Amino acid sequence: MNQSLLHVSGLTTFYGKVCALKSINFDAHDNEIVGIVGPNGAGKTTLLESIAGSLHIAEGKIEFAGQTIEHLSVLKRRELGIMLVPQDRNIFPLMSVKKNLDVSVILSEKAERKELISYVYELFPVLKERRRQTANTLSGGQQKMLAVGIGIVSNARIILIDEPSIGLAPKLVTRLFDTLKRIQQDTGKTIVLSEQNIKVLHIADRLFGLEAGAIRFDEKTENLSKELVKDLYLGSID
Amino acid sequence: MLLNGTITGLIMGGILSLPVLGVAVIYGITGIPNFAIGIIGVFGGFLAWYFLSFSIGLAIVIGVVACFAIGYIIQTVLLTPISEKGGDATLFFIITISLGFVFEGMIRAIFPRPNISLELPHIGTIQLAGVGVEAFKIFALVFALGTLVLIRLLEEHTEVGKSWQATSQNLKLAKLVGIRTNRVFSIASGMGCALACVGAIFWGSLYNLTMLSGWDLGFTGFIVAVVGGIGNIWGGIISAMIMGMVMSFSGYLLGGMWQSVILYCIVILVLIIAPKGILGSERSL
Repeated sequence: MNQSLLHVSGLTTFYGKVCALKSINFDAHDNEIVGIVGPNGAGKTTLLESIAGSLHIAEGKIEFAGQTIEHLSVLKRRELGIMLVPQDRNIFPLMSVKKNLDVSVILSEKAERKELISYVYELFPVLKERRRQTANTLSGGQQKMLAVGIGIVSNARIILIDEPSIGLAPKLVTRLFDTLKRIQQDTGKTIVLSEQNIKVLHIADRLFGLEAGAIRFDEKTENLSKELVKDLYLGSID
Repeated sequence: MLLNGTITGLIMGGILSLPVLGVAVIYGITGIPNFAIGIIGVFGGFLAWYFLSFSIGLAIVIGVVACFAIGYIIQTVLLTPISEKGGDATLFFIITISLGFVFEGMIRAIFPRPNISLELPHIGTIQLAGVGVEAFKIFALVFALGTLVLIRLLEEHTEVGKSWQATSQNLKLAKLVGIRTNRVFSIASGMGCALACVGAIFWGSLYNLTMLSGWDLGFTGFIVAVVGGIGNIWGGIISAMIMGMVMSFSGYLLGGMWQSVILYCIVILVLIIAPKGILGSERSL
């Protein structure tokens, strides 16, 4: 296995008195796609938000590129190269598509900005066609593309995407997952996505199973039985 | 009378629209209703008056810059930290009203007079359809509309402006993409207080400026902003113009005593029909 980019150890998070994550260990390496799978309430979103800094953790250690980050703000973590694309409210609703991308490219080098936005338009041509359209008037699928586009133009080293397939038609899910694979291949970025859709098996290098805030497995995809994953953790099946 | 009433109404609306813009900018971006904005603006007006004998330009700059700094500091050290700890609307009401009393007390303590008039140079009279109007009043109206256009241009074409919009529409995502949202809040608060100061200076040059003018400007500005659609800059300006007209015509037709009765009955009526204001709130949070 290549170098560990993100290393989480003993992560425990509470919502009030309810323990949402219990002593989780989690790793993501350079240039890999990691799928975090599990039923609703398993702690997938909590894990991603804890890594991004949107949630305070009770215990544990988070290291990114060799640096301890659990005490850092969202902004500091973002500057180091961590970007979270949330499940909901993941666009700027009253701004045009172009302005959504313009404002999200803010931490990238000025010389790179145009190129990053062009890359998003190349991945999702419909966004280029609708670049002047207000974001909240796009279809659900197009809004999801824009949310992923915001993640890409952030030019982070690791992009955390929370349940990108939710609410999408099966064809769109396939297309979105193919695009995520292409992003990994084109850019060498690390992508961590939480999912309940079985199709994540086709693109993930590794799957991390969560149930009721605890780890059930952490395996390379080729070592996992598809049926086992499907039966245990995934609700949405073709 | 119709023409006179219209012109007076537009000018009153223009002056009123400055604190309204201040309220709209602050609330639209930070989501915090700052009821001290008017009294802070008047504090800046008193500062400008104090330095008026040195140089008019310098006096205005001192007042406006001081108000920007006050708004920036209040937001940075007080309002943003409270908001991050989950402060609610009631808490912000109490805190910003208390801040207003702090600045009212400071005006009493620092300045020798409680009632001032800012005597700016007389720039003549302009004839509008046969009605003579003080050019300074027209300047106040043009300045207010120019400020609105400038804010809109900033929002559309600058990185700072786009960051304001993003922060007001989706704070969580704005933080995630790397916008320094706390700095955006502080700048918005500073700008809002600076706009209120400009409003107070115009007010003080056309009428008298007292500590009560601060509460008047602040509360009326807030109510007008709510009627326009809180946080909605265009809505605020349209609302200010309508309110200016209402004040002007009710004054002409029924006398000054009835102005506030008619004005606030209309406010209540508009808010019953359109609870989110004339153009609706732009703030999506």
